[in-house]
Amino acid sequence: MLGLGLGLAVAIPISFLQIFAPQPFRLLASAYERVLRSIPLLVTLFLLFYGLPSFGIRLAPFTAAVIGVGLRSSAYQSQIFRGAILSISENQFRAALAMGMNKIKAFRHIVMPQALRLAIPPWTNELTIVLKDTSMAFALGVVELVRQGRYIIVATREPLLIYLTIAAIYLILTLLSNNTLGRLEKRLRIPGIGVEERAR
Amino acid sequence: MTFWQVVQHSWGPLMDGLQVTIQLTLLSIVFGLALGLILALGKVYGLKPIRWFCTAFIEIIRGTPLLVQIFIFYFGLPPYGIRLSPLEAAVLAFSVNSGAYQAEYLRGAIQSIPSGQMQAALSMGMTRWQGIISIIMPQALRRVIPPWTNEFIYLLKYTSLAYIIGTQELMAQARFVASRNYEYFHTYLFAALIYLVVVLVFSEMFSWLERRVKIPGFEYHK
Amino acid sequence: MNKEKGSVLRIEDLHKSFGDNHVLRGVSLEIKRGETKILIGPSGTGKSTLLTCINMLTPPDSGKIWLLNDEITASRKVNLLRQKIGFVFQDFSLFNHLTALGNVSIGLTKVKGMDRKKAREKAMEELKQVGLGDKASSYPAQLSGGQKQRVAIARALAMDPQLILFDEPTSALDPELIGEVLTVMKKLANQGMTMLVVSHEMGFARSVADEVIFMEGGIIVEQGPPAQLFSNPRVERTGEFLSRLSSLFGEEDEK
Ligand SMILES: Nc1ncnc2c1ncn2[C@@H]1O[C@H](COP(=O)(O)OP(=O)(O)O)[C@@H](O)[C@H]1O
Ligand SMILES: [Mg+2]
Repeated sequence: MLGLGLGLAVAIPISFLQIFAPQPFRLLASAYERVLRSIPLLVTLFLLFYGLPSFGIRLAPFTAAVIGVGLRSSAYQSQIFRGAILSISENQFRAALAMGMNKIKAFRHIVMPQALRLAIPPWTNELTIVLKDTSMAFALGVVELVRQGRYIIVATREPLLIYLTIAAIYLILTLLSNNTLGRLEKRLRIPGIGVEERAR
Repeated sequence: MTFWQVVQHSWGPLMDGLQVTIQLTLLSIVFGLALGLILALGKVYGLKPIRWFCTAFIEIIRGTPLLVQIFIFYFGLPPYGIRLSPLEAAVLAFSVNSGAYQAEYLRGAIQSIPSGQMQAALSMGMTRWQGIISIIMPQALRRVIPPWTNEFIYLLKYTSLAYIIGTQELMAQARFVASRNYEYFHTYLFAALIYLVVVLVFSEMFSWLERRVKIPGFEYHK
Repeated sequence: MNKEKGSVLRIEDLHKSFGDNHVLRGVSLEIKRGETKILIGPSGTGKSTLLTCINMLTPPDSGKIWLLNDEITASRKVNLLRQKIGFVFQDFSLFNHLTALGNVSIGLTKVKGMDRKKAREKAMEELKQVGLGDKASSYPAQLSGGQKQRVAIARALAMDPQLILFDEPTSALDPELIGEVLTVMKKLANQGMTMLVVSHEMGFARSVADEVIFMEGGIIVEQGPPAQLFSNPRVERTGEFLSRLSSLFGEEDEK
C-alpha cells in the first residue's frame, strides 16, 4: 500500500514532465521510466538494501522494500497516466480554451476528469501487481506473509499446505481489490470513455 | 575496487548466470505458450466444464504471487515424493505462471477476431476445427505478438526470483560474487546493467521481427 | 440462357425462432438450375436467417431443405454440403490474414484437398473472372469495398458450387462501387449460375431475376417475375414496400 502510494506520488510528476516539460527533462523522465521498467524489481531492491550501505546509507528492510516497490511502480504508473492524458484529444483542450478557460483550468476541469477515469482499469491492474510484488520483499527479510509462512512451516512441516494457504490469501486479496476498483470504475463510467488494459 | 574492476572480476560468473537466465526464460516462455494455447482454446471453444476449469486455473495463477508458486513447486512437493532440482522447479513454476498470462492474451486476441470470419470458414465447408486452425489462429497469433513480447520481457525479469531456491542464474551469481568481494553496490549495479542491456536488445529484436511479419490490416500500436 | 428442369434447392415449410422471436413462419421455395431469384423485404424480416438456414449456419427448428437430391436438414455431413453452396456476405468477411489469391485458394487446399499449385492456378482463373487478376497478391486491407466483394465472389466460385447465396452483397458499398459488383453478378447469372440474392437493387432485379420474392413477417407474401411484381403486384403490402423502396433509392436507371 505504501509502495503504491509512493509510486503514485512519483508517477504523476514524471508523467507531467514527459508530456509538458522541455526536451531535456522529457528525455530524462523517459529514461527513468525505461530503466526502471527494464531492471528486475529484485535487483532494484538489492541495490537499495545491500548496495546503498557502501555510501553510508543504511535502510531498514521495510523502508528499502517500500522505496523499491514504489520506484518500480512509479515507472509503470507514469506510463499509465501519460497514456491516459495523451488519449484525451487535443480538441478537448482547445475547446476548453475556446470557452475562455486558462490552460490550468482547462487541464484541471476538462482533461484530468477524463484522464483519471481512463486510468482506473490499468491502475487497478497495477495495484494487483504491487500487491503480488510485495512478496518479493521476502528476499530482504521483511517479515510479511511469505516469511510468516516459512516460520510456521519450520514448526509444522507441512510446506505445501502452508504455501497453498498463503496463495489463497493473496488470491482473496487480489480478487477483492479487483472487485472494489471494478465497481468504482463502473460507478464513474461515462459512456464512450474506456481503454484497454495492460495485463501484467 | 572501482566499478570497472568489479566488472572485470565478476564478468565470468555473471555471464554464466546470464546464460542460465536466458535458458530459463526461453524454456518457460515456450512451455508457457503451449500451456497458454491449450488454456485459451479451452476457455473460448471448450465445453462448459472445460471452460470453467480453464478460467479458474487462469484466475488462480494470476491471483497469486509467483514467489509462492515457486515455493510450492520446490518446497511443497518433496513431502509427496516429487523432488525437483532448482532449475526444474523454476522452469515449471515460470511455465505455469506465464502460461496463465499468455492464455489471457491469446483469449483476448481470439475474441477480437470478428465472428464473420468463422461464419465464412464454415460456409465454405470447413469444419469448426479447420476454421480455428486455418482462419482464426493465424490472425489471433499475429494480434498477440505485442502483448506476447511484453510477456517475454516480464518473464525475463521475473526469472531473477529463481535465485531464492538456488537456481544458478544471473541474480544468484551476483549475490555470490558480492558476498565474496563485498562490493554490493557495484556488483548489483553491474547486474542491473546486464538486465537493462538484455531487455533492450530483446525489445529491439522483437520490434524488428514485428515489422518483418507485418501484414496490411494488422498494424498495431503499442 | 440455358435452363434445365431439375431443381437445385427446395425448401418446405421452414420455421425458425430465436427465443420468443418467431422469425421464419413457414417458408417454402424452389430454385431450378440456372435460375436467379431475388429476395426482397423490410429489414428484420428474416431474409438473412433464411439464407443461413440454407447452409445450416443457423439450424432451423422444423421444415426440410434439399440441395439436389440431398436433404440438408437430415444430413450428418453438413460441411460436405456447404462446399456446394457458395455464400457471399454483406460485410465480405474476407480472411484478413490471406492475400486475395490465398482467400480464393484456401478452400481448395484445406477443404477439397487440392494440391497447392493447382489450387493457385484455379484461384487465379477465378480472380480473372471477377476482373481482379492484378490484385492477386493484395491483402484485404489494401482493397476497396467493391474489390473485396469481388474477391469474396471468386472465393465462392472456386469451390464450384451448385448454388450461390448472396446476402445484401452491395449494401455495405459506396454507391460508386456497387456497379462493379453487380456487373460480375450479372455475368454469373448469364453464364447459368444458380443464385439466390437478397438485394434491393431494383434495376439489377429487373435485368437478371427470373423471379422476385417479397418476404415480410417471416413468410413469403408474394413472388413472381420482376416485370409483373414491380408493375402490378397482387398484394397491397408488396406495392407499399416497393413504392417505399423507390422513394428511398430513387428511380433506377437501366444499365
Ligand atoms: N443469432 C440470432 N439470435 C437472436 N436473434 C436473431 C439472430 N439472428 C437474427 N435474429 C433476429 O431475427 C430477426 C430477423 O433477422 P434477419 O434474418 O437478420 O433479418 P433481415 O436479414 O431480413 O434483415 C430479427 O428480429 C433479428 O433480431
Ligand atoms: Mg439481413
